[in-house]
Amino acid sequence: MQSIIRTIRDGSGFDILLLGFALVYLVTFSAFPIIYNIVMSLQTVDMFTIASFSRPFVGLQNYYNILSQPIASLVFWNTVKFVVLSIVFQLSIGFGLALFFNQDFPGATYLRGLFLAGWIMPALVVGAIWKWLLAGDFGVINHILMSLGITEGRIFWLSDPDIALYAVIIANVWLGIPFNMILLSVGLASIPRDVYEAAELDGAGPFERFRSITLPLMRAQLGAVISLGIIFTLQQFDLIAALTQGGPADSSNVAQYWSWQLSFQTYEISLGSAVSVMMILFVIVVAAIYVRSTRHEHSY
Amino acid sequence: MLQIEIDRLNKHYAGFHALKDINIAIPRGSFVALVGPSGCGKSTLLRTLAGLEKTSSGDIRIAGTSVIGKPPRERDVAMVFQSYALYPHMDVEHNMNYSMRLKRRPKPEIAERTRAAAETLGLGSLLDRLPKALSGGQRQRVAMGRAIVRNPKVFLFDEPLSNLDAALRVHMRSEIRKLHERLKATSVYVTHDQVEAMTMADHIVVMRAGVVEQQGSPLDLYDKPANKFVAGFIGSPAMNFIPAIVSPDGHSLTIEGDAATMLVLDRKLAPGARLWAGLRPEHLSLTPVAGSLAIDAVVASVESTGSMTFIMVAVGAQQLVVAHSGRPGVEKGGAVRLHISPRNIHLFDRETELAVSG
Repeated sequence: MQSIIRTIRDGSGFDILLLGFALVYLVTFSAFPIIYNIVMSLQTVDMFTIASFSRPFVGLQNYYNILSQPIASLVFWNTVKFVVLSIVFQLSIGFGLALFFNQDFPGATYLRGLFLAGWIMPALVVGAIWKWLLAGDFGVINHILMSLGITEGRIFWLSDPDIALYAVIIANVWLGIPFNMILLSVGLASIPRDVYEAAELDGAGPFERFRSITLPLMRAQLGAVISLGIIFTLQQFDLIAALTQGGPADSSNVAQYWSWQLSFQTYEISLGSAVSVMMILFVIVVAAIYVRSTRHEHSY
Repeated sequence: MLQIEIDRLNKHYAGFHALKDINIAIPRGSFVALVGPSGCGKSTLLRTLAGLEKTSSGDIRIAGTSVIGKPPRERDVAMVFQSYALYPHMDVEHNMNYSMRLKRRPKPEIAERTRAAAETLGLGSLLDRLPKALSGGQRQRVAMGRAIVRNPKVFLFDEPLSNLDAALRVHMRSEIRKLHERLKATSVYVTHDQVEAMTMADHIVVMRAGVVEQQGSPLDLYDKPANKFVAGFIGSPAMNFIPAIVSPDGHSLTIEGDAATMLVLDRKLAPGARLWAGLRPEHLSLTPVAGSLAIDAVVASVESTGSMTFIMVAVGAQQLVVAHSGRPGVEKGGAVRLHISPRNIHLFDRETELAVSG
């Protein structure tokens, strides 16, 4: 007993103790739910069997059922559009702002700080505000577009099936810009000024410096921001719940929201699990790319 | 033929006058050192030559054409940075030929010039290494290689050796000098180390607080410093300064607070003038030479480096350093008689600190 206490206090016992806490936490709250979810996606789970572990094993039947649903391909392509467009605009606008605030002008740091406002707001609140902004009959955005003569009539952002998805994407881009900007700002600030000066003396103009110095040196940060952005976009739920609930007629439904609907609205729990398992597999691939991209970090 | 002409150049930062009426003329092919203590404006001057800093007034001409308002890439100057500023994501070869790739030179020419520069600098076997896999000295060479391949009108060096250890610094000093003799390119070299300036440059510009204090050949600055600052800055160990007063007949000096020591001068000065007498440690000798003056002193401490011995002595209330080559056999507390030739006594006005000649 004495010796156990001693190793915990002075020896390797302390390391094992710390490691143990982390491991217990990870197994209980991460590994177990994921594995349980995978198991459920291979069983028939509904309201009657949810409480017991012994449920009929159906193999990949749930995956077959989910993929053969008529809305599966609609949801798939909506998800692709949602992720790709969100990332493209978050990244380009965020990078643009980061480059802008990296210039030396009075108040640059304070203005950049203001952009964090978007980041600290709960997505549900952001969704509620965007719902007002985008409202077809009294929304500010329609009012401005019509006052400026850009559009003739009202656009029903959230209830027009052709537009609803894009309205959600616009709100999500707004929500994601601060994250992109801050992370990329940090990367830009770490590139020494004299490297740019050396390039300038070597004959590189502003565009050439961006292309051959900034972009390659930002590779690690860009990789991180893109992969984290994909992950955040795939877990974006609140905004959709607040704005369109996937509607009208599933026109703005995406995988993560569909999985939630299946599990918690129609109680087809095993189908919801199957959707989430497919998303997990995709996220693992993205996470692997992220881990790889951090290897390209440069030391100066 | 002048390669660089700096004409009444001024630079103001917000409320700070960084460069004051700088005039420097640099002949083609010469090696010029800008020296001075930190904050004297030498790096700022170099950066205005490169075009990295704007000027407030005055003119800079490179090869006869004014470059004021021109961006760095239109000036045809190459710069070696203190931090080397290598491109971290490019290997040695691509670091060196970046400028030629930007100009879209033909591939064989790029390869040939990169190879030639790498060979000159002994980098041939390192061409595919990234900067992070190089030692400090190797990085320094790559930074020079990047400048050499461009064959520019002017080379600028911003304290390129200050991040190297002492031995490598001495080695690179002669390498850079040899390289200069081979390439004959006009070079401007910024350093705070006067030894570096003395050993490498044809022409030295001594700066302080944004002002050129004196310029000339290294030995000119050593032999005829224009003021007390230059006299104290050039030479190692630094010149001894003792307050002195010219005697009533104007032919000799007495050391203030030590009436016993009388130095007979080889020139006539205004009687009663209050001056600084400047005596270089290496000009104070323990043995008399023809026509030398004697100063009696007490040894305060002795430091020997083996080949050189530095003797700290007290003359009345004044402290002096004597540099003696060899082992003098003096002891702490002992009395010594120092000898100096009258022509080696530098005199500076106590108020203006300018050199006083007879």
